[in-house]
Amino acid sequence: MYGVTLVPWCDGRDGMYGWIWRHLPGNVWVRALISLVLALAVVYVLFQYVFPWAEPLLPFNDVTVDNQ
Amino acid sequence: MRVVVRTVSELCITAGTLIVLFVVYVLFWTGVRADGAMNHQIDVLHDQWAKRTAHPTATAAPGASAAPEEPAPYTHGKPFAIMYIPRLGFTWNKPVLEGTAVSVLKKGLGHYEGTAQLGQRGNFSVAGHRRTYGDPFKDFPRLRPGDAVVLTDGTTWFTYRIDKGPYKTVPTDVEVINPVPRKSGYTRAGRYLTLTTCDPEWGHSHRLIVWAHLDSTQPVDTGKPAALRR
Repeated sequence: MYGVTLVPWCDGRDGMYGWIWRHLPGNVWVRALISLVLALAVVYVLFQYVFPWAEPLLPFNDVTVDNQ
Repeated sequence: MRVVVRTVSELCITAGTLIVLFVVYVLFWTGVRADGAMNHQIDVLHDQWAKRTAHPTATAAPGASAAPEEPAPYTHGKPFAIMYIPRLGFTWNKPVLEGTAVSVLKKGLGHYEGTAQLGQRGNFSVAGHRRTYGDPFKDFPRLRPGDAVVLTDGTTWFTYRIDKGPYKTVPTDVEVINPVPRKSGYTRAGRYLTLTTCDPEWGHSHRLIVWAHLDSTQPVDTGKPAALRR
């Protein structure tokens, strides 16, 4: 069993992903499952909200001759 | 020291993953979304046209058949026609929506507001993505004079023939969509069509233009125009 430490991730031994991993409940399989769900949630938020916002900042949208 | 190295390496991995995901989004996901959106717009149009032929009410004004009436103004963000360009592929067909806003161009080709309506005197001007969002105008440089650009608004087929292009210009050159476009070689008023997209393929420093004139029209009842038959 790994103890849940109160040390912030930046002072810990194994970085922010290790910090997240240590704070997930359950055994290895449960943690892996939760990690997968978390990763999918992050990808969903990126594809649904962040990338649609960021994409018009790139030049592929400029196809007209009048809007500057 | 170890903390710094570890933090930097974790941030690099995170940033790398983000960039890969973003590339997947731009190259692949926008295309998936746009294909769905374009098909939906085409379905909307077919529904509209099916209803209109089922209830031919307002269009059948008595005695007005001689002069082609002025079509109703287009609604911003709504589709009103389907474009076919055989040169870009036998199955290439895209909806044309009113307006050239970024949100409109995600769903199809965009008709410049303020330019002529389909088949009317003036310059019917349309913009489309070269890359991303379904890549509608990816093969734009393959267009040649003599190629057909066919559009339908549900009642009429409009066949335009390309006269000049692809012509490369700068983004501020708004005169390419004038009623008589500058540099197009047209000298008199007529029924013209202008297509615009970006150049280079992934850039935005220039625009590619083609110009066409209205070659023929025919009612949809008479079947597809010759340019679309194989």
